Amino acid sequence: MNYSQLLKFAAPETIVVLTALAVLAVDLTSLRGLEPRLRFIIGGMLACVGCAAAAVWMIVMPEQANAFGGMLVVDPLTQLVKVALLGLTVFTILISIESNFTQHVGEYLALILLATVGMMFLVSAEDLLMVFVSLEMTSLSLYILTAFNKRNIKSAEAALKYFLFGGMSAAFLLFGLSLIYGLSGATNLGGIAAALQGRKLDPLLVVALVMVVIGFGFKVAAVPFHLWAPDAYEGAPTPSAAFIASGSKVASFFIFAKVMIIGFAGATGSGAFGYYESGWVPMIAIVAVLSMVLGNLGAIVQGNVKRLLAYSAIAHGGYALLGMLANSQQGVAALVYYVITYGMTTLGAFGVVAVVEQATGDSKLSDLSGLCRRAPVVSVCMLVFMLSLAGIPPLAGFFGKFYVFLAAAAAVKNLGLLWLVVFAIAMSAVSLYYYLQVMKRIYISDPPAGAPRMRVAWLTQATLAVLAVSVVLLGCFPGWLVGLIERALASLAP
Amino acid sequence: MTWIVKNLWLIPALPILAAGLSSLAPQRCRRFSATLAIGALGFAFLVSLCAFAHTLQPGGHDGAKEVFNFEWLQFAAGDPGSLKLGWVLDPLTAVMLVMVTFVGTLIFIYSVGYMAHDENFTRFFTFLSLFAGAMLGVVIANSLLLLFISWELVGLTSYLLIGFWYHKPSAAAAAKKAFITTRIGDVAFLLGMVWLYSQTGTLLFYDQGHGCMEQSALAKMVVQTTSVGMAVSTAIGLLIFLGAMGKSGQVPLHVWLPDAMEGPTPVSALIHAATMVAAGVFLVARVYPLMGVHAEGAAVETTALQVVTWIGAITAVFAASIAVAQNDIKRILAYSTVSQLGFMMMGLGVGGVAVGMFHLITHAFFKSLLFMGAGSVIHGCHEEQDIRKMGGIRKYMPVTFLTYAVGMMALAGFPLFFSGFWSKDAIIHAAYGWSVSHVPFYLGVAGAFLTAFYMTRQMALVFWGDYRGHGSPPPPHSKLPQLIKVKSELKPHESSRPMTVPLVILAVCAVGLSIIGTPAWPWFQSFLGSHHGEGFTYEVIKIMVASTLVVFLGLGLGLWCYGRPPRQTAEEPDVLVKLPLGMHTWFARKYGVDELYEMTVIRFNAWFARACAFLDEWIWGGAVALISYALLGLAWVNRAFDELVINLGFDQGCERVSRGGQFMARLQDGRIQNYLRVIGVALVLLVLFLIWGGAK
Repeated sequence: MNYSQLLKFAAPETIVVLTALAVLAVDLTSLRGLEPRLRFIIGGMLACVGCAAAAVWMIVMPEQANAFGGMLVVDPLTQLVKVALLGLTVFTILISIESNFTQHVGEYLALILLATVGMMFLVSAEDLLMVFVSLEMTSLSLYILTAFNKRNIKSAEAALKYFLFGGMSAAFLLFGLSLIYGLSGATNLGGIAAALQGRKLDPLLVVALVMVVIGFGFKVAAVPFHLWAPDAYEGAPTPSAAFIASGSKVASFFIFAKVMIIGFAGATGSGAFGYYESGWVPMIAIVAVLSMVLGNLGAIVQGNVKRLLAYSAIAHGGYALLGMLANSQQGVAALVYYVITYGMTTLGAFGVVAVVEQATGDSKLSDLSGLCRRAPVVSVCMLVFMLSLAGIPPLAGFFGKFYVFLAAAAAVKNLGLLWLVVFAIAMSAVSLYYYLQVMKRIYISDPPAGAPRMRVAWLTQATLAVLAVSVVLLGCFPGWLVGLIERALASLAP
Repeated sequence: MTWIVKNLWLIPALPILAAGLSSLAPQRCRRFSATLAIGALGFAFLVSLCAFAHTLQPGGHDGAKEVFNFEWLQFAAGDPGSLKLGWVLDPLTAVMLVMVTFVGTLIFIYSVGYMAHDENFTRFFTFLSLFAGAMLGVVIANSLLLLFISWELVGLTSYLLIGFWYHKPSAAAAAKKAFITTRIGDVAFLLGMVWLYSQTGTLLFYDQGHGCMEQSALAKMVVQTTSVGMAVSTAIGLLIFLGAMGKSGQVPLHVWLPDAMEGPTPVSALIHAATMVAAGVFLVARVYPLMGVHAEGAAVETTALQVVTWIGAITAVFAASIAVAQNDIKRILAYSTVSQLGFMMMGLGVGGVAVGMFHLITHAFFKSLLFMGAGSVIHGCHEEQDIRKMGGIRKYMPVTFLTYAVGMMALAGFPLFFSGFWSKDAIIHAAYGWSVSHVPFYLGVAGAFLTAFYMTRQMALVFWGDYRGHGSPPPPHSKLPQLIKVKSELKPHESSRPMTVPLVILAVCAVGLSIIGTPAWPWFQSFLGSHHGEGFTYEVIKIMVASTLVVFLGLGLGLWCYGRPPRQTAEEPDVLVKLPLGMHTWFARKYGVDELYEMTVIRFNAWFARACAFLDEWIWGGAVALISYALLGLAWVNRAFDELVINLGFDQGCERVSRGGQFMARLQDGRIQNYLRVIGVALVLLVLFLIWGGAK
């Protein structure tokens, strides 16, 4: 393998890095004097073009490669996830364009792109070192993005909490990874699995396993590693929060599942009802249950939409973990479908919150009152997003949950994980309550007296509409995306 | 595959598109929505004509059936896990397409006149278009599932249109009744469909030998028997027939159809005479291979077809006898429709697809003509529907009178020149030759007699004699011009052009259609491919003469009872009251079927509903409330934990510290400490948990 080949395999990432630099350079050199909105439009378009180019590159030139023993793995599945990531990035940029929280447009966009690069490498990594480095690259960018609203003290506070929490988790993760290296002598996931094969689950391995789960649990905001999420979502500028909730979730879940399923193939254990066996599956099952309970119950009493979405994200993390602990090909397919559609939906929901925030200055539930009369198009989009998050057919959220539950139920013989699925369905019913609370605010409550119609930029409206339509279409024709994922998975099977 | 087969979906899609567009139009866009609806259906009519012409070509294709199938969704791996939909173009489809679009277009045009003063004109045309699209979907479906979907849509639009004047309680109740009654049949239909799917693994009718109406699937089903000793094919056929009974108003599910006349008259003409109610007959014709399949060496008539025949024959007489004693002009026609649908079912049972379908087509024309004529009369008489309060209308509404007379002749089966005669004769002839029993034949003859009688009664009361409405206005040639001027507004008047022109066209069709199905030239029968007429044999002529005599007997008796002398006032009792055994009361009260249902099914249902409500409110509701309170409690605990344990402790800390002037420093530190502590605790707990589990 020489460097030109490596460059070819890493071409999409390279394109995005170059785009980030270009955006930064253009903004610093020639756009300084212009008003922020114009800079956002020009820079944003440039960034979108870069992302689109990287995505097109992957679609037009599908590759299959494994460079340096798992440092960079390119295959149909990772490419699919990367294209999805780029898509989410583009939508994040589009909903950022109308925001006015910062003067540092170039830096903001460049950071989003760099975070994307980190996620793309993360998706492609099958080596512990690469996993950790790209995870840190993503996280560091996200910390800064959280702090980006310098006029708001909450933003800084949120970022610092996020950073401290993230730093601590990263420390645990690194500790866990080094223990694993000590146990197995390998950093490659396949090598680790081979070395751990047949080994008893001794306390050292357990500690390593738990530490790794802590590290990733932080990234996916699973209980009890979720404590940063509500504060960070609330304090961060809304587009940043949207990005944390969508793109970062997709990449983190993907790599989490990969590390667990490939790396710890020998230590799965069993969470089937009545057949408990120690391993990562029962641990994830506990984490999933806690996430579903705490996320859903916590969301009920929230008064701020962003906090509500944060708790909802925790709950959805719980559902998605079901797909992971199914520990099967079907489970992975369900997980990928779930997180991609969830990412789109939550991105849209945050987009709507951004619109409201810009008009009213805050994102309390009461700020949504009578939104359907103040901004009808946006309200319809929010209806789609909320119902999809609640899992109402025929929206994408329903099929996501359906596939995940199906995979979990079918994973173990005799429906061993059915208890978990039944629990998840019950919790999903609870979640309808708070999503409908939002809808009630929008559609039934009266707008504040004398409130004018909101002026929503057409670009934002179009972006939200595209997202809403995609959520509906992916729900009506789930076969398309699932087919893509399954074909990609099938091509990996030996 | 030709263009027309591939694009057959256009025919239902156009009206549905029109419905979608006009549902978005504001209420005042009357002209827009009417034009859109008529244009879409008119275009669908042209496409249907193309399709029809295509089926006329001498076919080299298999069984003259061309299908287009596609996969709708894949719910499990492999071929049985994929659900396919599709459409089929065969003579049956083509004939129905042309009939539905043609009659439909005429009725749409008529509606422009009839509904001209209604403020919800736009909504009306939206529903009509949606109905037309759904009905055409039923017709082209090559999959029982697609047929069922369209079938339900048809039911929905029927509900919407019966209850179009929903502010009238009777209309709202009638809509509900129609919906629920047909739904009873539909449940059976759905069961039959599911069963069929479990047996054959497909719901496509025709699929190059793999469809459920094709030989391999049928042969498999006919040899299996159910627990009661009936062939599976028969059981499925009967379940599907129950669905058809609901839609086509066969006894005992006929009760909704007369009440459905609460809807606007064009609706009655389109849905409850020409098209939707015929969908049941069409469904039986469509699944005829399933109904008619019999095991090797068994008797010729299958159980399923026998049931169809008996139900049809009983319905034919039963409804006709009720029609004799009704006084509402539309209700008479409604019972007549039920009776004629019985004839069609009987025709299917005894004579096959062609016999039943021929009557369906001719009936569609003359019955919609009669309904639209009735609508014209009602319109002209200022929304009066009681025939006792009419009379002498022929002087005021000549066009309506003439066309109505043509429709009446066709329905009564007046010999030779009217289509109804030939199609009804074919059914009676087939019943005569039925190998199982002769009773349906006699029932059919009795039905024909009653039909002639009650139609004569209606004609006599509506069009002859003097006008009896609104007290007694002076005759048209009164010498008191002042009085005439006042009263003239109360007098009937001829309807507007959009209403009369369709009447004339339909009248021409009611006569002209007779040429396509006579025994001398049975083009229609051979087109549908199941029947080869034998010409005017001795037997054919014998039956024809007999039925002619019966018809004349009915007409004569009707004239003798009601035309001699014509009824003078609205109040005098009906001639038939003198019949022995209180028969007239029975007829007038519709044999008490409604009351019977009221006392049994509905009362039980109400009781059961109350019991369920009680259970729901106190037992399940209590449980749900308990759970929801428990969940809310948990949520509050959770919040309390969040606020009191994590936040409050920290807040208090902050307050104390802010006094010390180190607010910022301790702000982040204090709170995040708690957060990070959680990670540590989680680490310990999870490790202990896993080790404990491993040690076990």
